[in-house]
Amino acid sequence: MSSAPALVASGISKSFRAVQALDDVSIELHRGRVTALLGDNGAGKSTMVKCISGLYQPDGGRIFIEGTEHRISSSRHARELGIETVHQTLSVIDPLDVAENLFLNREHTRGGWLGARIGLLDKRRMRKECADTLARLDIRIPSLRRSVGSLSGGQRQAVAIGRAVSWGQQIVLLDEPAAALGVEQTQRVLDLIINLRDQGVAVLLITHNMDRVLAVCDQAVVLYQGRKCAEVNVADVTKDDLVSYITGARTTD
Amino acid sequence: MNRKSISKQAPAGLPSPVGAWIDRYRHDGGLRQYVVYLAFALILATFSILLHDDGFLSSSNLLNIGRQAAPIAVMAVGMAFALAAGEIDLSVGSVVALSSLVAAELVGNYGFLAGALAALGASALVGMVNGLISVKVRIPSFLVTLGMLGIISGIARNWNDLQSLPIRNDRFSGIFGAGGLGPVSSLLIWIVIAGALGHIALHHLRWGRHVLSTGADRDAANAVGINTARVKISALIVSATAAGFAGILLAGRLSIGRHDLGEDYLLTVIAAVVIGGTNLFGGRASILGAVTGALIMAMLNNGLILMGLEVADQLIARGVIIILAVALSMREAKEA
Amino acid sequence: MQPRKKSRWLVLGALLAVFVLLAAACGNDDDDSGSDPTAAPATAAPTAAPEPPDEPAPEPEPTQDEAPAREAPVTQGPNGETASPSGEIVLTADELAQIQEGGYTAALLWHISGAFTDAVSQGARDAFAEMGIEVVVETEAGFDAAQQANDVETAMALSPDIILSLTIDPVSAAEGFRPAVDAGVQLVFLSTTPEGYTQGQEFVGVVTDDLAAMGIAAANLLGNALGGEGEIGYIFHDAPFYVTNQRDQAFKAWIEINFPGIEIVAEQGLADPAAAEDIASAMLTRNPGLDGIYAPWSAGPADGVLAALRAAGASDVAVVTMDLDTNVSLDLVEGGNIVGIAADEAYEIGRTMATEGAYGLLGKQTPPFVVVPAIEVTADNIVEAYRVSLAADPPQEVLDALGG
Repeated sequence: MSSAPALVASGISKSFRAVQALDDVSIELHRGRVTALLGDNGAGKSTMVKCISGLYQPDGGRIFIEGTEHRISSSRHARELGIETVHQTLSVIDPLDVAENLFLNREHTRGGWLGARIGLLDKRRMRKECADTLARLDIRIPSLRRSVGSLSGGQRQAVAIGRAVSWGQQIVLLDEPAAALGVEQTQRVLDLIINLRDQGVAVLLITHNMDRVLAVCDQAVVLYQGRKCAEVNVADVTKDDLVSYITGARTTD
Repeated sequence: MNRKSISKQAPAGLPSPVGAWIDRYRHDGGLRQYVVYLAFALILATFSILLHDDGFLSSSNLLNIGRQAAPIAVMAVGMAFALAAGEIDLSVGSVVALSSLVAAELVGNYGFLAGALAALGASALVGMVNGLISVKVRIPSFLVTLGMLGIISGIARNWNDLQSLPIRNDRFSGIFGAGGLGPVSSLLIWIVIAGALGHIALHHLRWGRHVLSTGADRDAANAVGINTARVKISALIVSATAAGFAGILLAGRLSIGRHDLGEDYLLTVIAAVVIGGTNLFGGRASILGAVTGALIMAMLNNGLILMGLEVADQLIARGVIIILAVALSMREAKEA
Repeated sequence: MQPRKKSRWLVLGALLAVFVLLAAACGNDDDDSGSDPTAAPATAAPTAAPEPPDEPAPEPEPTQDEAPAREAPVTQGPNGETASPSGEIVLTADELAQIQEGGYTAALLWHISGAFTDAVSQGARDAFAEMGIEVVVETEAGFDAAQQANDVETAMALSPDIILSLTIDPVSAAEGFRPAVDAGVQLVFLSTTPEGYTQGQEFVGVVTDDLAAMGIAAANLLGNALGGEGEIGYIFHDAPFYVTNQRDQAFKAWIEINFPGIEIVAEQGLADPAAAEDIASAMLTRNPGLDGIYAPWSAGPADGVLAALRAAGASDVAVVTMDLDTNVSLDLVEGGNIVGIAADEAYEIGRTMATEGAYGLLGKQTPPFVVVPAIEVTADNIVEAYRVSLAADPPQEVLDALGG
């Protein structure tokens, strides 16, 4: 937490036709810390995440990763820079099994040069590494060969998050990761987030649920109508404080 | 802050292969994946009993079934990829004809290999055009390929004024249909090759996994950085090329190129693929199922004819059996 | 993402160019392909293929130009040989007994199903039944040459002694029927034979309906109905189907030869039977003085023509067509636009083919080609015509109309 922040997004603006979705929003993510991004519906949270993850090109502002400025041109580029996003809609592929999902589009191949050219999958190695990754994150899945479509919502979300960090990504953006989950499964996902943090990953968590913020987050950035209206240490505030920032009743600026 | 609630459960391990198989069987649709093989065995058994002294089980007749299934089987393998990618290729029948004509035109002067390669190339080009228009102009593939069906059929009809183009090349005919290795027809060998290539491509190549991902959830596939446009184009190229190869097999077997070869194959191919467990709307595919589906179609044809049914009754019986088989595989799919 | 729009148009343009090139490279002048009799895949067009000795001439010989005759012309073979009437193909009592004891089997491998095929098939089945020959297989190939080759293979599993068939594509049929030829099966063909096959070697014989005579019959029906004077419209089947092509050609030729007072003022090809009504309407609009129309066959085209005439209130336009079908038969007996129907003796074709198959088993010489006559059907002979052509009574509606 002492060195340069893992990611700095500074003065980000983005508009769609006449609508100013983001106006001069800045945010910092630190290794080993969980930052909450809060705001009412339409406050610009998802737009912010998409600007960082390369899906949108911001109209203005700069993004620094490990102190170096980058213009993130695509989600692929973002991934190359160590940023992984778990979107609100689950981005797991139901018919593929757990290991295949974990390694989707980053598959290991075998058979040397030719194998790499034609993309001959090294399934054994992927399963092995998948098992290792899941074990490291304490994610429990009945069978790695089972199709993800047959897993529970929590398990699927765990796979999606597992994929985000399986390649040693240091910055993970989570957009409502527990939106559709039950109590126990939500707890699992929160455990997983803490686990990521403890392993030195910089996490950005978008959520509506204040209890979750208080449970796992170190810092919170609150957006109101496209502007940053508050940035606080979670330890210093109450649930009611957060709610009043979100509704625009108070600002810290 | 109460953040020390990490559960200490046993992490995922590698269960025994048998256990894994049973687990997968229970959770991945159970019987559904095997409906096609069950149907195949059932129909085979029924005909074997009903037609035991009508030559159905004679080795020459079983070879007939395999031979007759070959063009449909090869096309089914290609179509399975198009469907898996969430696309459909309605132009395959016309590509069969085009390919047979290209081969017939070139085999005489440039040899069998050049003829076959040019036919495959022309077919792949059609698939690429299908894919590019569908993806780049964002027109659903069933409309693009429907239009292409008309265009290619028209070109095929004009090619030789609706007349057959004879092929007088023993090597071409021998390799692609008329000949074989000993008693085994080359057509059977081509079914095995097409099925094996397709199965490996779907399950053991990165491309196959990306095709399935694209068809299952294009947004999710995009989100992990898969170039789904390219995947869809490639799937349509594969389906057209497979149809082109089926055209070569028909040209080899009949020693002609002709404008209406394969004209009526489309629905048979789709039925074979769907009976085989491939989802009509993407995301699930089975190559071995598609090949088995093609064998079922050929076996039905053969058995119903051998039963001595009149033509009208053959049509009715075939229709009923196809609906039953598709209903079974779809019903299981819904339960999964 | 920005260059996407530009590249999209580039791709489109390139595609268009590819297709223009392709079309230019392989397109033939299709102006004349529709009405050109050589467009038919059959070897039957005599002008294109003089060799096959087993085909009837679809058109009257040019020599008949000088002596146009009102009586039914005799169809001649391409080399001048006369067609043998189907009545000559009979078995003696001894031969019949010999066949009946043989325990033979037969396969019927048709090109496509339909009323015509059904009648042929029924004739063959009846004749086979009389000869004690069991029909073990019947197929229809949906006009797909590859399917027909499959059907031959499949049928061979039952080792039939006789195969009756109509070859879809003479070129590929040479390969397709090879398994049957190699096994020594007695092959009898309807109308067309596989390319390179010789009668008496690969196959027993060929029987055909007299397509030319049907065209002539239709021409006579219309010409006589108009009293030899008037303007007519000619709708022909614009697809490579030898049956309709030859009938259409013969109709047109015979009108021109035998009815100098009748002028064909409108000619239109028909590819889709459903378009017949539109075509007939357009013809009436352009030629208000039209006295008659030829429709290439009954179910579909003639129905469409009748609909167009009714819509235009043109009850005085005479129509002829081919093949018996309920709707046109009804119109004929009720005194509507239909003045006559040309029909073939499909049932007789089947009988004759079956008997020729027995000829093959007996080693008996078959005439080079055998034709089954055409029938000119009018309201007066329609009941008889149904029995002769389709071996059935007319549909009940037609009988009712006759009775009332």
